[in-house]
Amino acid sequence: MKRISFILTFLLVITSAALAHEVRPAYLELRETAAETYDVLWKVPGLGDNLRLGLYVELPADCVNVTEPRAVMVNGAFAQRWTVKRAGGLAGSTIHIAGLQSTATDVLVRLERLDGTTQVTRLMPSSPSFVVEAVPDRWRLAETYLRLGTDHILKGVDHLLFVLGLLLIVGNRWMLLKTITAFTVAHSITLAVATLGFASAPLPPLNAAIALSILFLGPEIVRVWRGETSLTIRYPWVVAFAFGLLHGFGFASGLKATGLPQADIAWALLLFNVGVEIGQLLFVFLILGMARSYRQLEIRWPRWALALPGYTVGTLGAYWTIQRTVMLLGFIR
Amino acid sequence: MTTTSQKSVLWLALLAALATPTSAWAHLQAGEAGGFLSGVHHPISGWDHVLAMVAVGLWGAQLGAPALWLLPVTFPMVMALGAMMGLLGIPLPGVEIGIALSAMVLGTLVATEKRPPLWVAACIVGFFAIFHGHAHGTELPAGQSGLLYSAGFVMATGCLHGMGIAIGVIHRWSAGRLVLRVAGGFIAAAGVYFLVSGLA
Amino acid sequence: MLKRGSARVGLGRLAIAALLLGLDCPRAEAHLVTTGLGPVYDGVAHLALSPADLALLVVVTLLAAMRGARPGRWLLALLPSAWLAGGVLGLTLPVNPSLDWAIGLAFLLAGGLVAADRNLPLPVVSGLVTILGAFHGFLTGAALTAAPSAGLELTGEWVALIVIVTLVAGLVVSLKAFWARIVVRVVGSWIAATGLLLIGWSFRA
Repeated sequence: MKRISFILTFLLVITSAALAHEVRPAYLELRETAAETYDVLWKVPGLGDNLRLGLYVELPADCVNVTEPRAVMVNGAFAQRWTVKRAGGLAGSTIHIAGLQSTATDVLVRLERLDGTTQVTRLMPSSPSFVVEAVPDRWRLAETYLRLGTDHILKGVDHLLFVLGLLLIVGNRWMLLKTITAFTVAHSITLAVATLGFASAPLPPLNAAIALSILFLGPEIVRVWRGETSLTIRYPWVVAFAFGLLHGFGFASGLKATGLPQADIAWALLLFNVGVEIGQLLFVFLILGMARSYRQLEIRWPRWALALPGYTVGTLGAYWTIQRTVMLLGFIR
Repeated sequence: MTTTSQKSVLWLALLAALATPTSAWAHLQAGEAGGFLSGVHHPISGWDHVLAMVAVGLWGAQLGAPALWLLPVTFPMVMALGAMMGLLGIPLPGVEIGIALSAMVLGTLVATEKRPPLWVAACIVGFFAIFHGHAHGTELPAGQSGLLYSAGFVMATGCLHGMGIAIGVIHRWSAGRLVLRVAGGFIAAAGVYFLVSGLA
Repeated sequence: MLKRGSARVGLGRLAIAALLLGLDCPRAEAHLVTTGLGPVYDGVAHLALSPADLALLVVVTLLAAMRGARPGRWLLALLPSAWLAGGVLGLTLPVNPSLDWAIGLAFLLAGGLVAADRNLPLPVVSGLVTILGAFHGFLTGAALTAAPSAGLELTGEWVALIVIVTLVAGLVVSLKAFWARIVVRVVGSWIAATGLLLIGWSFRA
């Protein structure tokens, strides 16, 4: 229930954002079903009573219609399906939407190649045509997955909070190096294992466990302040390794949500992992750099300000743990 | 809940998902990067400019301490002032001759290792900097991203300068001093050539 | 919101929604938290990728931080707050002025002062930081009014600003070598020169 309302709110937020533009996008799908053959789906918003926006797809001139377009009106939208063939495929050719310039509509384009790779584009009145990309080569693929990995960790507040918690516990540089390395090795192992399909973790309990790992660090940070010691404080790399295994499964779910290429899985996995490490190191250096800057500027923080990061980690960890556990229970029932 | 509203929600969600990554990158467009590169390209595209800039750096290295670091700090600003005059269409007579003269005069100063007082040196360099800047300013292409073009332009000039100073490090050794003076002579000769071909 | 019986259907729809979102942005469902923080990250990226914004923030930071730790602390307190105030004002006022010449002037003023390296009194430095910060915030806010969820984007830019300013200020305060100060002054002079060119550009016939 909570999740539903949560996601609905999320959708509402982005919907209202999109509504501000008042656009009803048209949709063009090109699916390669056999060599050089494409199924075309073209949807245009209707204007009621069999009227439609005057938007037309202009495929390259040397495209041959294998089947003639069949048109239907569905839910006030005009949809057309047909199949085309072009010698050499569509790669490198330009597809134009006629009439787009004189409307306020956008067109979403999704092209799926035979090997499952896709190209997604949004066409606007100011840019009413696009060029079909060839199958991404290895470097293109590398760039994509590198960016995905970096994006994934930098946008994953949960992973970042865990790393922040570790930074707050770790005492010196040598220990920091060991801890970050242990976390890296551990999540790389599970990321690989899960992506290659040797093991898997169901998402709800996994999320709850990741939340728990963040919560776990909260009390440990308080122990550091009080000058107490514990297993975590003496050997933070052990904890980093153990929970790192969990976070690896989390990264794997992120990678799966995007989809792996049919070929070159290992290559994509490696690059995604490297991307994650780049993002993680970036975050670590950012935090260390900020701390160093504050020392250089000789800022004397009040006590409560010093306690803030630790309490943030603990509080959010606790909140997510409760939330995810409730969700988990709801899921089982 | 009707299916149409459901669908439109999904549609708009998809649209938003598609829109977010692009909007962030929209800022650094290919055209802008191109503007930066063409800005970098401009000061290094003509030998008369390049030699004069390097000569300023060499002379700074010869003059030593205050001039050495005063020049790279003030020169870009004076030159930009000239470029601004050019952009605004404020006329400056004899720009091409001034530029050719600058290579000749600066080259001669390096070759003879002249050591005028700091303010005299600054005036000489500043005077020619205005000419160089003005020439660039009037040649700048219309439209496009002014900022990145300007930044590229300033940076390239600064780097030419830095190159002169870096070469000037050899001024510590007596052999190096000789090399610098020969280089100055070469630049002065090139200046004469520019002047003659400019007047012809 | 939904009755128990319809929960299944709802989940199905949500799965479709997640799938659609997953098409291009992997954040949906992949994470513990799907916070919808997208616009905040957009704001961060926006600031980090726009050279004009970076140059102005850096030169203002240099101006204060090259005078030592105390002006640096004032910078850290004043710049973000002035910027945010200006940003909110820009968001609320229905104007989107094109002030290229004013940006150029700000570059020239702050860059020139950095290049000159004069020992300005603390109130002067603080005043300049506040004025320039509020000015830049205002321009940023005014440019954002058209954007969806502008408030979140402004927040993102604000966070990025704090991080960048803190990092640069700490670095500059820690610079002790003579040549390092020259480098700082050269950077200031380059930014001032760029400002001059911008002014020329915006008044070009």
